[in-house]
Amino acid sequence: MKKIKQLKWLTFLLVTCTVFYSCSDKLEENDGQVAADDLDFTQTGDMVLPLIGAYSEVYSRGWEDPILVGVRGDDVNAGGVGDAQGGLTNADLYNYDNNYWMFNQVWSNFYGDLVDIVNSGETIQRYKEFATGSDIALADQYIAETKVLSGFQHLQMSRLWSDIFIITTSNVSEDIDNGVDTKEEVMQYVSDLMDEAIPFLPDLRPNERTDVRGGVTKYTALAIKAMANLELENYQGVADATAEIIGSDKFMLYDDYYELFKEDGQLSNENLFELQFSDYGQATGDVNNHLFAPFGPPSWTPVVSTASSGWGFYEPSLKYIKFMIDRGDETRLVTSVCFTPRGMDELMSDPNYATLPSYVSNTTLDGDIFNDTTRFMFASGKHYWPSNQLTPGRNSYGSGKNFLVIRYAEILLMYAEALTHGASGSVLTADQAVNLVRERANMSPISGVTTDDVMDEKFAELGMEWGIRYFDMIRLNQYDELSYDGRTFTADAEYLPYPQDQLDLLPLENN
Amino acid sequence: MLFFSFSAFAQQMDINGVVTSKSDGLPLPGVSIIVKGTTRGTTSDFDGKYSISVSSGDQLEYSYLGFKTMVITVENQTTIDVSLEDDVESLNEVVVVGYGTQKKADLTGAISTVKSEDIARTPNSNVAQSLQGKVAGVQITSNGSPGDSPTVRIRGVGSYAAGNNPLYVVDGMFYDNIDFLDSSQIESFSVLKDASSVSIFGQKGVNGVIIIETKRGRKEQKPVFTYNGYTGFQTAQNVVKMANAEQFVTMAYESGSDADIQFVENAIQRYGRSRVNPNIPNVNTDWYDEILRLAPVSSHSIGVTGGSENANYSFNSSYFSQEGILDMKNEYERFNIQSSVDIKVSDRLKVGANMVFSNATKYNPENSAWFQAYFAVPILPVYDELNTEATPIPFSDARVLGYRGSQNPFPVMTFNNNRLKIKKILASAYMEYQLIPDKLKFRTSYSHDFSTISERNVRLPYFVSQNSQREVSSIRRANQEYSNQIWDNTLTYTESFGKHNLTLLAGSSFRDEQRNVFQATGDNIRGVQLESSWYLNFADPTSFGNDRVSEIGDRFYSLSYFGRLEYSYDDKYLLNATVRTEGDSKFPREIWVTTPAFGLGWVVSEESFMEDNGIFDFLKLRGSWGQLANGALGDSSGTRTISNITTAIDDIPTDGFISSSNYQDLEREILEETNLGLSARLFDSKLSLEADYYIRDTKKLVIPVDQPIVSNTILENVGEMRTQGIEIAANWSQMLNDNWSFSVAGNIATLNNEVTKVNSAAGYFDTGQAEFRQRSMVGEPIEAFFGWEVVGVYQNDEEIQNDPIAVANDLVPGDFKYRDRNGDGEINADDRTVIGSYLPSFVYGGNLQVSYKQFDLSVAIAGQTGNDILNRRRGEVLFTNDTNMDADFAINRWHGEGTSNSYPSSEGRRKAWNQRMSTFFVEDGSFFRIQNIQLAYTIPQSTIKGIKMPEVRLTFTADRPLTLFNYNGFTPEVANGIDRQPYPIPAVYTFGVNIKL
Repeated sequence: MKKIKQLKWLTFLLVTCTVFYSCSDKLEENDGQVAADDLDFTQTGDMVLPLIGAYSEVYSRGWEDPILVGVRGDDVNAGGVGDAQGGLTNADLYNYDNNYWMFNQVWSNFYGDLVDIVNSGETIQRYKEFATGSDIALADQYIAETKVLSGFQHLQMSRLWSDIFIITTSNVSEDIDNGVDTKEEVMQYVSDLMDEAIPFLPDLRPNERTDVRGGVTKYTALAIKAMANLELENYQGVADATAEIIGSDKFMLYDDYYELFKEDGQLSNENLFELQFSDYGQATGDVNNHLFAPFGPPSWTPVVSTASSGWGFYEPSLKYIKFMIDRGDETRLVTSVCFTPRGMDELMSDPNYATLPSYVSNTTLDGDIFNDTTRFMFASGKHYWPSNQLTPGRNSYGSGKNFLVIRYAEILLMYAEALTHGASGSVLTADQAVNLVRERANMSPISGVTTDDVMDEKFAELGMEWGIRYFDMIRLNQYDELSYDGRTFTADAEYLPYPQDQLDLLPLENN
Repeated sequence: MLFFSFSAFAQQMDINGVVTSKSDGLPLPGVSIIVKGTTRGTTSDFDGKYSISVSSGDQLEYSYLGFKTMVITVENQTTIDVSLEDDVESLNEVVVVGYGTQKKADLTGAISTVKSEDIARTPNSNVAQSLQGKVAGVQITSNGSPGDSPTVRIRGVGSYAAGNNPLYVVDGMFYDNIDFLDSSQIESFSVLKDASSVSIFGQKGVNGVIIIETKRGRKEQKPVFTYNGYTGFQTAQNVVKMANAEQFVTMAYESGSDADIQFVENAIQRYGRSRVNPNIPNVNTDWYDEILRLAPVSSHSIGVTGGSENANYSFNSSYFSQEGILDMKNEYERFNIQSSVDIKVSDRLKVGANMVFSNATKYNPENSAWFQAYFAVPILPVYDELNTEATPIPFSDARVLGYRGSQNPFPVMTFNNNRLKIKKILASAYMEYQLIPDKLKFRTSYSHDFSTISERNVRLPYFVSQNSQREVSSIRRANQEYSNQIWDNTLTYTESFGKHNLTLLAGSSFRDEQRNVFQATGDNIRGVQLESSWYLNFADPTSFGNDRVSEIGDRFYSLSYFGRLEYSYDDKYLLNATVRTEGDSKFPREIWVTTPAFGLGWVVSEESFMEDNGIFDFLKLRGSWGQLANGALGDSSGTRTISNITTAIDDIPTDGFISSSNYQDLEREILEETNLGLSARLFDSKLSLEADYYIRDTKKLVIPVDQPIVSNTILENVGEMRTQGIEIAANWSQMLNDNWSFSVAGNIATLNNEVTKVNSAAGYFDTGQAEFRQRSMVGEPIEAFFGWEVVGVYQNDEEIQNDPIAVANDLVPGDFKYRDRNGDGEINADDRTVIGSYLPSFVYGGNLQVSYKQFDLSVAIAGQTGNDILNRRRGEVLFTNDTNMDADFAINRWHGEGTSNSYPSSEGRRKAWNQRMSTFFVEDGSFFRIQNIQLAYTIPQSTIKGIKMPEVRLTFTADRPLTLFNYNGFTPEVANGIDRQPYPIPAVYTFGVNIKL
């Protein structure tokens, strides 16, 4: 009897041990996550997913990015007087404090996206290995698209900081070990990367694409190639790339310059690249919006009274406005600038502008009234979204607004500039290209355009957009233009210093 | 038969008597009374009475936990009344250790115990809070938010990445948080501090272990009914004084910002002029005063414990409720049931089960209110009757004055509702079988913790202004479910031969931890004005798309085998050795790890040369060494993972995914700790003393490291860290005469933490936000604050002109002067240095108890020195500078030559030069606190007209009534040293009643 009892316990122990042994299998499990390696790469229909991921990274820009990129030009001043953004104000005055948080933020925003974009390209490559038939070409196209997006990010980074790390693989430590490349090398890399991508990209306008409408195409790549060559001052390269875009006859300037930056102009035939956002026309549910509030007026009386105001961080300069009034460039001025009464008073305090043209008003064409604020005197009209275009129930400033990045007018003007620098192009003359742009703005044609004329036209046409003016001026060493309103620009101010945080982390040194 | 016939000849007699406690004269129920050398015995009843049949010359041994055992030889008496002496540190006191118990005298590691009555004094929902100041080397950082847990650090930071909390082992189940326990349900607390004690718990014990046993009944115990309750209120302490309207306006005028002056003008225009001072608006809002309130707290518990010969039981239920001091729907309510039963099925088999169920409802505060109240300008009223468009309440908005933010904290406090329903069940059962009676024991136990946290965040619609509005209501529901199981099996073998005593333990443990979070968000709730409609069902069905429903989950497994040897020779020489092998699914690269530990002890007082030394009643020297592998490191996927995203393509929400480019691929941290200690009792055991010195090395140290290029951090094994310290705890108790007795206890601990190795080319690791840098470098504390040293403030133009640095940076009087550490004539990144550490270097606590007749008084103190706090609120001026400031700044600001050499001017405050991370923002966090004062009066049990009256104890308690510190914040208790918006720690005043029948 006793033996049986003992046996019972031995059996129990044995069972316990067996159960434990089977438990040890569990140690190999990893619940609740999907490893990138575990994706089913044979499902080639899924390979669009990492591509959309790459677009989402490019679209989801920090609010600081366009502000910092654009603030230094003589078209724009930092707003937010009395606010904390002294670092931004200082950047506008060409005094850079590399401890200023925004520098590091913008650096990490662009680089964070870059790594993810490159990673997406690598993921698509793995789908491609299992692809058959037309899926192979599609994979190549998607990979090429990630290259275009990568090129755009590299271009923006290098414009700001000059020498940067080129990111070629998602395993960034390799690229970091290679050290920084000079701006020239980066721009050449971007240009070459576009050449690599172009053969695989759709020969379409972005708005003609049906798979990813508004995504990049061959022409976006050509545009970025042109921009990189412009930075390299390889004007023939600029002329060739832009001529191909112009010669395609696919693009045209949108009729109404004002509406181009509003709802109607989204995904228009003028747009080569735009960051897409939407609140999906519904009052509820999640949105994918850019934070336009920094561009908005701190005080206004909108047509839709509940529409939110903004922060007033980005202010068109008096210099720009006077320049436009002098030219009688009404259409582009009222599109580019929203006036406040205080701003108008400030203009009139200059005897030369004691009487303002009648079109200068603090009521926009859509009827929103911009009120006085200490933050700024003028708001950027291209970043303004009329309150009556808001989706009912959505009140944040610019909810649903797309962010235009590259448009055909810039292509025409780059082409014209290249020609004035001696490059050859046969699709149009420089005069024709400039006049196409002027015509849309109801400006009379000019002839015998010089580089200066093109620069004036770019100033008028592209003011407030993506620092185009600033990067033009430093490329052409026109420091006198940047020395305005009490500022003095010197060559050492062309690029931002590396953020302190990155100096602490990377083998980097500020000069 | 022989025995009986023999005893028949002996002279049998019945002895009666009462056993009482010498200290208070109260009868002691359940005292074990054994005829020495036999198995015959009895226990005293509820009135302390006993009766036993003995022979003349027998020796009776009276023993009772917590009292000194007494032996009395029977002569001719028929009545033996015994009064037992308290024995706080009794030799035979048993301490709960990992997977068993050990005699306190046999311990070789650093283990402290806390009595349950000491815990009950603290009126707090969280039992861990009551440890504050009680155990040497344990630092508790309070949390004022109702239902939230304090931060508990044992011997500083053992592992950065494993979080701050020790492992709590409640009836065998592992927890990182004990918010579900009520103090009335706790039997004992053991704090295991050193690696050799903790080692048997394996990976999770890296930050120390606190073993908690819930209440159990005792054998042969008459049922004891108890009621414990208290009620009282909490009030905010050390409220930060903000600049008032006059000070604020003065600073605005000095700011050099036209905008700010304009805002003041706007306020005057809108709200009128002050009659006292026509230059300031007729508004003077003290925002902290507006958002704070007195808040009630109360607790009630009833219970019964008891036992018969073969079974004992304990049932207890309690209710706790507390409101927060933030004036919004912010409260905590908890209902608990606890029960335990142990049954002796046969001589060999014992089974038991216990269960704790806790059901809590918590309304979380909007902590941003603390932050906003700090910044809100005093010239803005809470309500603005001119704001006629506002609905449903006319709150004010600072934007109408021109400020960037709306500033008023009331809209979020009023229109946000954050409810959590927290249900936790701990069920455990065990079976113990004596394979060889009193020698070899098999025990199997299974514990299951099942917890759900059901979260409901409702956002109500309102309109204050264009930028402070919510047109559409929303509801977010998140259901978190945790299911954790542990199955332990142990074999314990005990043997004694000669002077050798040996215990061998072998065991295995399987752990399964599962988590699942399901959440969904919907907008536009129909009938939102009624709480009855706050369900997803009533939200707009179209609002759920686009990533608004999600589920995440994970599951980890662990399997361990462990063994322990306890050996003692002649109660003089002690040896403990432990080994644990643990496998864990979190570490796919290296699943298994084995760690050893051992300890040695020498009970010097047992040596012949110490006999009758007249000083030491007990003296033990002990030393231990142990290794621990830390696996509580969060997820170490070891591979890239993907996450889904949605983006707008042509106004259509379009799905995609992003593959992470970096991931965690960790090895376990290895902790090695050497502990040297002594335990002693002196002067007839009036003084007891525990002292320890330890050195702990954390190898393969894991901290979250900033990644270059991209802005994220991941955990990496980066280096080594050493923590060392001395802990001393002393206790003197004495009974002066029949009426007076007192005890004094004190404990101190030093803490010295430094990074000893860094595996990076740069020689350091950065953590924290870039603007508020924390750096870990060799020879300095981990995560030290890192920045510039302010040496003064420029006082006049002459000083500026004479300093090339000031000239080069366009400085003006009122700006900071930084130390040019490398003397290169420039202030740049190379001039940064370590400017503080959040770890205290000295933590102390003390307790005085005095009793006089029926009165007793206890006073506890606690404090710490050597820690620094980053006053991040002041630092935030960097992001928004048109806001208010604390009065200390307003008063001490530089405003002319000679006014300050440590504070910048109002204008300077807004300049980047003065906003960089510097000693100005890092302040001394030392504090001294009167932790707890309790005055009690006890009405002893009595019989009135034949009716038994219960023992009643009345208490008045003031918890944390006074805290002294210099820091410019609400509280110096900031766990990670970064003060942004912590919930203030209130003082609590309560009246309590305890009834025992």
